[in-house]
Amino acid sequence: MKPRGLMKHRWAIMVAVVLVAAMAACAPADEQADDNTLTIAVVDNPDLVRMQELASHFTDQHPEITLEWVTLSEGELRQKVSTDVASGAGQYDVVALGAYETAIWAERDLLVPMDGLDPSYDVDDLLPTVRQALSYEGQLFALPFYAESSFTMYRTDLLEEAGLRMPDNPTWDFVVQAAQRMGDLGETSGACLRGVPGWGENMALVTTMANAYGGRWFDEQWQPQLTSEAWQQALQTYLALGAEAPDGAVERGFSENAQLFADGKCAIWVDSTAAAAQLADPDRSSVADTVGFAPAPTAGHDRNSAWLWAWSLAVPASSQQQDVAKQFASWATSTEYTELVAEQYGWVNAPPGTRSSLYERSDYTEEADFAELVLQAISQADLDNPTVEPVPYTGIQYVAIPEFQGIGTAVGNQVAEALTGQVSAQDALQNSQWVTEKVIQRTRLTNDDQ
Amino acid sequence: MSTETSAPADSDDVKAEFSDLAALDPEQLPVPKHRLHGAGHFAGLYGAEHVAATEFVIGATFVALGAGIWDILIGLIIGNLLATLSFRFITAPIAVKSRLSFYAYMHRIVGDSVSRVYNGANAVIFAVISAAMITVSATAVRRLFGIPGQEQAYPTHLGFVAITVLFSVVAVLVAVVGFNAVAEIASLCAPWLMLLFTVGGMVLLPQLIESINGTTTLDGFGGFVDVAGATVFTGINADGEPGIGLLEVVGFAWAANTFAHFGLVDMALLRYARKSSYGYATATGMMFGHYVAWISAGLMGAAVAWITATSIAVLEPGDVAWHALGATGFIIVVIAGWTTANPNIYRAGLAAQSVFPKVSRTKVTILVGVMVAATSAFPFFYRSVLPVLTYAGLVLVPLGGIVFAEHYLFRRLGLTKYWSRFKGVKHNMPAFIAWAAALVVGFGLNILQVIPYYYLFIPAWITSIVVYTVLAKGAGASQEYPEQQSEDDRFDARVKRYHDQLAKTEDVTHFKDRSVLGRLLLVVSVVALAIIFVFAFRVLFFSPDLYHYYVNREQFYVATLVGTIVYFVAAYTRQQRTKWLRKRAEASSGRTPPPRDNTR
Repeated sequence: MKPRGLMKHRWAIMVAVVLVAAMAACAPADEQADDNTLTIAVVDNPDLVRMQELASHFTDQHPEITLEWVTLSEGELRQKVSTDVASGAGQYDVVALGAYETAIWAERDLLVPMDGLDPSYDVDDLLPTVRQALSYEGQLFALPFYAESSFTMYRTDLLEEAGLRMPDNPTWDFVVQAAQRMGDLGETSGACLRGVPGWGENMALVTTMANAYGGRWFDEQWQPQLTSEAWQQALQTYLALGAEAPDGAVERGFSENAQLFADGKCAIWVDSTAAAAQLADPDRSSVADTVGFAPAPTAGHDRNSAWLWAWSLAVPASSQQQDVAKQFASWATSTEYTELVAEQYGWVNAPPGTRSSLYERSDYTEEADFAELVLQAISQADLDNPTVEPVPYTGIQYVAIPEFQGIGTAVGNQVAEALTGQVSAQDALQNSQWVTEKVIQRTRLTNDDQ
Repeated sequence: MSTETSAPADSDDVKAEFSDLAALDPEQLPVPKHRLHGAGHFAGLYGAEHVAATEFVIGATFVALGAGIWDILIGLIIGNLLATLSFRFITAPIAVKSRLSFYAYMHRIVGDSVSRVYNGANAVIFAVISAAMITVSATAVRRLFGIPGQEQAYPTHLGFVAITVLFSVVAVLVAVVGFNAVAEIASLCAPWLMLLFTVGGMVLLPQLIESINGTTTLDGFGGFVDVAGATVFTGINADGEPGIGLLEVVGFAWAANTFAHFGLVDMALLRYARKSSYGYATATGMMFGHYVAWISAGLMGAAVAWITATSIAVLEPGDVAWHALGATGFIIVVIAGWTTANPNIYRAGLAAQSVFPKVSRTKVTILVGVMVAATSAFPFFYRSVLPVLTYAGLVLVPLGGIVFAEHYLFRRLGLTKYWSRFKGVKHNMPAFIAWAAALVVGFGLNILQVIPYYYLFIPAWITSIVVYTVLAKGAGASQEYPEQQSEDDRFDARVKRYHDQLAKTEDVTHFKDRSVLGRLLLVVSVVALAIIFVFAFRVLFFSPDLYHYYVNREQFYVATLVGTIVYFVAAYTRQQRTKWLRKRAEASSGRTPPPRDNTR
């Protein structure tokens, strides 16, 4: 049957079509953003949420400026901000970045150099290694809001009960031995361990362990080195610690392990210095009186396992309000802001790891008796020489190239499978070597910089 | 193997009686009724026609323009539906009734001088489109020569210019001497291109999901919408402003082919349709190439921008395809670019030849080649292919309006169709003025920014209809030309008799190779494509984490390369074998096939 009705009304259809188009044509254009509004993209963590709460102090000083906050999960923030910054969209005026992104984006001229800051900001007060982590070719591109390293946290009471004494510079062999001996006491598990797969999760720890054993991700020709003796030793040590950890280690990241340790469920833990404040706080930790701190372990080489990470504030080159954005970033990372946090939330909650002056304040060091170790760990970090042999990249627990997020997480998946016994350590490293080679070959081919 | 044949007619008698008609370019006459096709032919034709290298760029353009995910999902359906309806209710009825190409029909209506100007515009437009596709191909091979990426609107490396010039010269030569061979290969490419456009997006999607959710697993359609909305079609444009909305997406999708539907250029294809309802078959091209392929290309572009920390606005199709499809990605960009450039160069050459009929074909070809070579060095054109197509439509649509007016309105308004030819007008001023007025209205509204540029074709089209109708009425269309009309009727009757005779001598049956070998080759080519899809499906739905994703993806790359080689070997062998068998069958039956039609 022919669709006669439709044929008959074809003119009506076409007229309707034209009218739809006419309506579309008359649609109003979107309004432009307010020129005095700073859009700030931050990650959803307590320190940066606290910054939002205190931001009224900044707007009180600058009533002409309105702050608009975009709070996102770490993955979403990284995705949205990187897309925005890489495309030069200028959607955000201030962005919270890790040291990893800062290095990559600064190299691509996507960030504004943090020069011309007010002398009261006192750039020289920033810890040199943190400053280096946020610089490219000697130029600072982001202002550190908070920085961390890693060190050893342990139960002094259990260590003593096990008949051991923490060395000034512990080795990984000692940490494994201590975990086994304290675990054998039967009161608690021997170790806590970052097990969640991810480039910033289990691989942060495993990479620094490999560094300590003399391993590296790539040689100077960008050939992966994951089947080297050093990586095998590092993974074996990691798995040995995993054997001492409570069941389900593969599902636990930083927060879960911090809670386990605070609840007295494990005896030794090598992880972020950011945990120290919680573990030493009697209100949040049942082991506050018995927690001890030591440097990150070594493995017989001239490198320990300390990492360096900084959350920082940067201004994308695409921002239309760079000067005002810099003003905000410098306020939120200033000593004035640190004092404000201390006043409102106590010195132990002051953003750590960024300024020398913080560690010279007795009111801080008295509350945070781990402060000296944190300062030492951060100060000793060397991003350009993370391990014994030379590397073509910067970064200690990461490799500052865009493809590392994928590579690091894929290798993290294999390490997690090794931890759960799904693959052997040797297979895990061979698989990791294979996947790293494949990904790096593919991306290097389309990378004009190589 | 089988073929249908009928008794041969005495072709010498036909030639003698209708020698004058036989001497004409077949395009000047209506398509003989025995050569008309069914709806399936057009479904296949349009499905293939609208999957080309341009799709890589247009998909990424929607991302850069900041379309939101729902605007894309719904807006493209509406826009492509409007395009399909435009084909169905504007282009197809005129094509079916006249059975002429637009150029032939327009020439009958507006005469020689307007046609020449139109063809001049056409030559430039098709040359620019060809050049843009050659640039796309060049992006895939520049790395072989260590030439850096071309991120500016203009070339920044002499080596890149050398590649584009070389490609242009070869492409022009191929279009002149080997058009049919490339067209044959292009016909094999269609299902392969469709598949690879689809799987390219599938393969990169898990990496996008992982970047947001920390998992590579797709959580149903809702999960797809969430991830694509957060990472690809975000609603924010490349300037950080709110991007285009639903109505703009509708407009772009509708306007991307205005010269084909409102501009009537696709009469060249649809004149072979038995019924105007076959215009609905264009939906295969609109809803696959302009829907699935655009969305998939957007996904690919956004994923690669994320992987390489690069702006999608400057990403090159070669890099996108490399990450999505492995080594096959480079092949697809080169082949898609060339197979799109080839017919457009051919069309540009034909259009230029009709502008300068007294200049030799060689000189005209050189002219077109120079134009293509000069343009192809500028990345600006391939990155701007969507606006280029839109503005090209705006330039060409008024002629469609003029033909539409004569075809539909004149008799209803008591005016005489073909008045200009009947009256012997040398320069059809109403057509020139109507065209100019439409462009003034279109570009004027654009300058005044009264309406978005992708909707400008509507006022331009309406203006051309109204102005032409009014002016033609005063210029002679209101008069009657009985003598000339009778002569036309006699000519048409003679053409009909000629076609009746042709129907007895021509074999228009679709030859099919039904031999075991033929069927085996068909099965092999289909299985090769199916295997590629299965591996892509595995990447998307069976990659529990990033490591296994990479493993599956590497296997997909290998399967795609092998599948591609097997597909082309099997499909090409089958095509050539079928051609040989058909010729043999024709030789034994004494009937000949209709001449090949390369008109667009």
